[in-house]
Amino acid sequence: MGGYFSDLFGGSVSILRSMKVTLRYLFTRAITVQYPDEQRPQPLRALNRHVLRIDETTGQLKCTACEACARICPTRCIELTGTGKGKNRHPSAFSIDHNLCMYCNLCVEVCPFDAITMWTRIGELSAPERSGLVFDIKALTAERFYPSPMTPEKPPAPAPEPEPEKVEAVAAAPSA
Amino acid sequence: MGLFDNKQIEPNVITTSVEWLFNWARKSSPWPMTFGLACCAIEMMAAGASRFDLDRLGAGVFRPSPRQSDVMIVAGTVTEKMAPRIKTLYEQMPDPKWVIAMGACAISGGPFYYDAYHVVKGVDLLVPVDVYVPGCPPTPEALIFGILTLQEQIMRGERAKPGGRPTLPEPLAVA
Repeated sequence: MGGYFSDLFGGSVSILRSMKVTLRYLFTRAITVQYPDEQRPQPLRALNRHVLRIDETTGQLKCTACEACARICPTRCIELTGTGKGKNRHPSAFSIDHNLCMYCNLCVEVCPFDAITMWTRIGELSAPERSGLVFDIKALTAERFYPSPMTPEKPPAPAPEPEPEKVEAVAAAPSA
Repeated sequence: MGLFDNKQIEPNVITTSVEWLFNWARKSSPWPMTFGLACCAIEMMAAGASRFDLDRLGAGVFRPSPRQSDVMIVAGTVTEKMAPRIKTLYEQMPDPKWVIAMGACAISGGPFYYDAYHVVKGVDLLVPVDVYVPGCPPTPEALIFGILTLQEQIMRGERAKPGGRPTLPEPLAVA
């Protein structure tokens, strides 16, 4: 008889103990990310869609079409052709087939000129056709700065130097 | 709704409005079938869990039976042994049905595509696929984006063509 009532008491206490956990989570912040409206913060090295980086001083692609990435790719999803010689060699066609890409980062690691990066946070890719997932050189070229293993942070822009001729011209303008 | 899918009925004002209503209802509750075949299933589970919460889109009710499901999310490597089962399960689903190919393996064989004897080189060789979600594996956000793309397709009333992939993309056609 005593065991019966002690079991009843123990059961009630365990229910209250579990309800305490529920009550605690009721007053914590919700962890759901309202995805289409807000983005989860991704780490810097998250691997997403590729981007071909451009040299910001010349505006040309950094890629020299050495085909190191196409050769190391385990799924052979990179195809490119290069034109030009020496320092003027650049890819004329470059396509990455994201139907096959396994996001292994080997193409980024092998690139000697740091010309391709996957630290782009462009993760929303889906298409109703397979051909919509093959990105050509126009879709892959960077339109802004993207971090890469060699340059994880954007270099500071050089301060504009004052031009002495202009100052003289402004000073000379009222007298003339 | 087989009556309204029949092309012999001339579309008019009443049936187009009803079509819009049906498409809206189908869009708002695409129940997926639990079809995890490999590591992409982990990301599919993560998308269904509370952090990303597919229930917000009405797509979080994972059904274990093909009779109760609308969307087949093929998540993972499709082996030759699994291929007839996939086809059977697709045919057992009731008629307004869609397929999402999730991950590189389900889209095209992925890392197994040129030298593996035991992997189907893309699930679109077996069943018509509506949305391709690339990644290895895709993040939960990518899967949710694929489901949003599918919902837009359902609202437009588009269907995948039966009979597998229509055209190979350019690099594959060359190789």
